[in-house]
Amino acid sequence: MSLIVNGQTHPLPEPRTLAALLRLLSPAAPFVVARNEEVIPQGTYEECPIFAGDKIEIVRPAAGGLR
Amino acid sequence: MNSTPMEDPLTLYGQSFSSRLLLGTARYDSPSVLVDGISAADPAMLTVSLRRQISGPKESGQSFWNLLRETQRAILPNTAGCLSAGEAVTTACMARELFQTNFIKLEVIGDELSLQPDPFGLVEAARELVRRGFQVLPYCTEDWVLCRRLMDAGCEVLMPWAAPIGTGQGPRNPRALRELRERAPQTPLIVDAGIGLPSQACQVMEWGFDGVLLNTAVSRALDPVRMASAFAEAVKGGRSAFLAGPMIVQEIAVPSTPEIGRPFGSGTSRLETQVPGSMPM
Repeated sequence: MSLIVNGQTHPLPEPRTLAALLRLLSPAAPFVVARNEEVIPQGTYEECPIFAGDKIEIVRPAAGGLR
Repeated sequence: MNSTPMEDPLTLYGQSFSSRLLLGTARYDSPSVLVDGISAADPAMLTVSLRRQISGPKESGQSFWNLLRETQRAILPNTAGCLSAGEAVTTACMARELFQTNFIKLEVIGDELSLQPDPFGLVEAARELVRRGFQVLPYCTEDWVLCRRLMDAGCEVLMPWAAPIGTGQGPRNPRALRELRERAPQTPLIVDAGIGLPSQACQVMEWGFDGVLLNTAVSRALDPVRMASAFAEAVKGGRSAFLAGPMIVQEIAVPSTPEIGRPFGSGTSRLETQVPGSMPM
């Protein structure tokens, strides 16, 4: 029973919410999260359930120009 | 904000900028060089990207974020590295959530070697992003049909390449770029990618392009700060030359010094006529 976080397998947290996962990972702010390619608005993490097999992307600002 | 009206602003989706240079934030040797380069370039916008959170020093993302905020520049997030319309749309949505802007520099790469845009994915992604309320600036080629499709999709700004990303070759296809300028006279066109020298930036501005986006040409120069300043001057110079209206190129020599009254002359000749359009002095 796991999910994929930034391309890596990760066990499902308890409770099975995005907020619980983020408490475990404690990513540095600022960041934004997508679950199965849907952006999850900040402030809704507690209400966002996660399930086995979900693909979670957690991204941060980075330097960029072109590819 | 300065309340005095801008002279000759760059207007993108109704938002005006005093500078016509856009600057990427990647590949600088240090944050301080980036900050100094930004000051020297005085860019309208800074391009930034999104990358996965990875375990390691937590300060890096935060310090870059703080650096961006301190520059007080408009942010132009990109979808760099996306290989499909779906990836690009999701990345754009994440960027909007993070940076709180509807602007998005849309990149959908179609070839890993040349980093050439994927025209099909680009149009598909642009259509969807416009539908979702984004202000899309697509990185595209100079192909007229592609550009027309992007405008049909709702893109009010286009960003044609000069040459493949990071090559610094300058405009590879000047004729097509200039034809694009002529065929889309009302559309803001920003030359993006492949510019290596200030003279090349000046050149495309002289052709009437509305702006230039740079990254590697500045960040990988031996002295990035000085190069940033050189590009800023080049863009301004090219724009001024465009507005001034360049002379028409002639096929044969035309004397600029009046022939009338030339000492040692032998009377009236074919050349002793006033140059058309010139003022007798």
